[in-house]
Amino acid sequence: MTRSSRRLVGLVAAATVASTLAACGGGDSGGGGGGSEENEASDVGITEDTIRIGAHYPLTGVAAPGYSEIPTGVQAYFDYVNANGGVNGRQIEWIYRDDAYNPTNTSQVVNQLVLEDEVFAIMGGLGTPTHNAVTDFLNSEGVPDLFVASGSRLWDDVEEKPTTFGWQPDYEIEGKIIGQYVAENFPDAKVGLFLQGDDFGEDGAAGAKQYLEDQIVAEETYVPGNTDVRPQISALQAAGADLVLGFNVPSYTALSQLTALQLGYDPQWFYSNVGSDPALVGSLLARFSEGAVSDASLLDGVLTTEYIPTVDTPDNPWIQLYQRVWEESGQEGELTNYRAYGMSQAYTMVQALQAAGQNPTRDDLVAAVEQAGADWEGPGFAPFRYSEDRHAGYSGMLVSRIAGQGSEELTPVLVTDNGDAEIEEYDGEAATPPESGIPDEEPVN
Amino acid sequence: MREFINLTLGGVITGAVYAAFALALVLIWRSTRIVNFAQGAMAAITTFIALSLIESGQSYWVGLAVALLAGLVLGAVVERLVIRPVEGGPELNAVIVTLGLFIAIQALISVLFGVNQRAFVAPFSTIGFRVGDSSLALSPNTLFTLGAVLLVMVGLTALFRYTRVGLAMRASAFGQEVARLLGVRVGRMLTLGWALAAVVGSLAGMLIAAEVTFVTPTYMDALIVFGFVAAVLGGLDSPVGAVVGGLLLGLLLSYVRGYVGDELVGLAALAVLVVVLLVRPGGLFSTTQTRRA
Repeated sequence: MTRSSRRLVGLVAAATVASTLAACGGGDSGGGGGGSEENEASDVGITEDTIRIGAHYPLTGVAAPGYSEIPTGVQAYFDYVNANGGVNGRQIEWIYRDDAYNPTNTSQVVNQLVLEDEVFAIMGGLGTPTHNAVTDFLNSEGVPDLFVASGSRLWDDVEEKPTTFGWQPDYEIEGKIIGQYVAENFPDAKVGLFLQGDDFGEDGAAGAKQYLEDQIVAEETYVPGNTDVRPQISALQAAGADLVLGFNVPSYTALSQLTALQLGYDPQWFYSNVGSDPALVGSLLARFSEGAVSDASLLDGVLTTEYIPTVDTPDNPWIQLYQRVWEESGQEGELTNYRAYGMSQAYTMVQALQAAGQNPTRDDLVAAVEQAGADWEGPGFAPFRYSEDRHAGYSGMLVSRIAGQGSEELTPVLVTDNGDAEIEEYDGEAATPPESGIPDEEPVN
Repeated sequence: MREFINLTLGGVITGAVYAAFALALVLIWRSTRIVNFAQGAMAAITTFIALSLIESGQSYWVGLAVALLAGLVLGAVVERLVIRPVEGGPELNAVIVTLGLFIAIQALISVLFGVNQRAFVAPFSTIGFRVGDSSLALSPNTLFTLGAVLLVMVGLTALFRYTRVGLAMRASAFGQEVARLLGVRVGRMLTLGWALAAVVGSLAGMLIAAEVTFVTPTYMDALIVFGFVAAVLGGLDSPVGAVVGGLLLGLLLSYVRGYVGDELVGLAALAVLVVVLLVRPGGLFSTTQTRRA
């Protein structure tokens, strides 16, 4: 096989290689196998020495702050793996495109990734409305659609979406864990809900209501894009809510805090994981701290949840690994929680690729996650729920309180599942990363 | 009761913000008979210029002055270079040009200032006044916003009603040829109209930025729609109508948000628009039937 000459740069050059390969016919070799085989181009997006992974992220627009950092974290980790020999001798090519958090754009860029860039798999496509626009296409094309970066329950649907997998704990189990914590620790609180008006808010509220039905005094929703939340916060205040659960994105954490301050409303706040990144919310609120807001972080004392290590725990071995990886990658900026999230996803992806065998097909990759995923040890506090019947991500998280730029853990890791499943303490040990920083999973076949 | 009071006060504040935007639309409509869809983007770029100054340590007032000045220049330049070639042609041409301008300016903001959300700190405190042991949704900064909007409204009304320049501007918009025959320098009047409208737009951008708290290059988008509805509600011809239309719309939408649900806000605005266009197409404050020269 000859490589076509590299015209232009970067992506274009890479895309050319892939299309040459496709023209040569990426034969189905039956996948898998021991380490002694030769590398071959076993499917679309795989060559003897490369494997191409794609994703869509909001790199511009309202959802860009924070989220646009995730792919840089993924990049750093893949670079690290590549520098150490890649996966089965293949270098990972990471291509991500901007959808500006607009589902119409998502369809377009994912088409591009699959049909022009010819990626082997999609990993970490971000957002519920955005990614939901492309799952049908990806599944009908048979493209593995791994580790969607959203806590919606839509990704756990083996019948309709056999190649799609969730990754983070879904919003319903998060709602349940939050609900139980509040019911046990604030039994007399009047609870108000501040919800994003889509399935993020709905699933979270449904989970919380399993434990808090009697305590909820008000339920307010906002539509992303409407920047005036005074009516909602006024309504929560009027209902006498003294503990507010927020299932909202970070900019609305900042807005709700400022609005509550303006209205002289001071309940106990409890933001779900998505909306609580102290660094991002802090940076949005920083300029206000010079005037009206006192120097202490506005988020001090706010409750939230965690399911992977965060950068405010520099002694955590995963964060130490990520710090090293980030510094070696030489990209601009600091290691943030968003970049740590990207690295955690990239770590899981490398586990999946290793488990899929030396010359995997797309089907092998899906089968590998189903068969081995539940046993993978990684940065997550709780195990994945992957099996042949389930494509749901992490099974649990813990409750913590924000203090300054850091946080303190209030509960052990709690695991549960959707519906009526009990909430239990996780009895496993916290995993530590291997010495090399790179997982070493056995092929499943 | 406290919720009703706060919803009402909140409605007045957002209404004032819609009104500020509607005033700029009215001004351009009165002086050139064009609906300027690029108004929001023009206001956004001048606000970002001001924000950069403020972030670099200048005071809010320096930023405001520079924003207004930038608006004046931008409005005049846009009129001379972009709008003039299509003036006098079919109305649709000018509208399409302003739409294109809207997209181009928004892209320019992203290129110049980046796409990240940035905090915009209001010039006065946004902490609500306290009555007894509860806070009102009324702060020194909202008083500033309201005052600025009312001042502009009075100023524009006076300009059009009592000054020769205002009269000449109205004449130029109403019938270019007639005005020209009577010795009005129509070209200058059109440029002046755009420049003044962009100044008002820049002021609106600054006031709105302080109210929405976090700005991105697209932060005016949501407000453009409501600004248009407010302008149509009050009548595109009347500064007083723009302010009353803005306040009514702000109140209505605030009640809808508080008592019904945030998801119905867009629908409520649409309903207002349809009813006004069906029942009183000229707006609440129209005095005469549509005139054409």
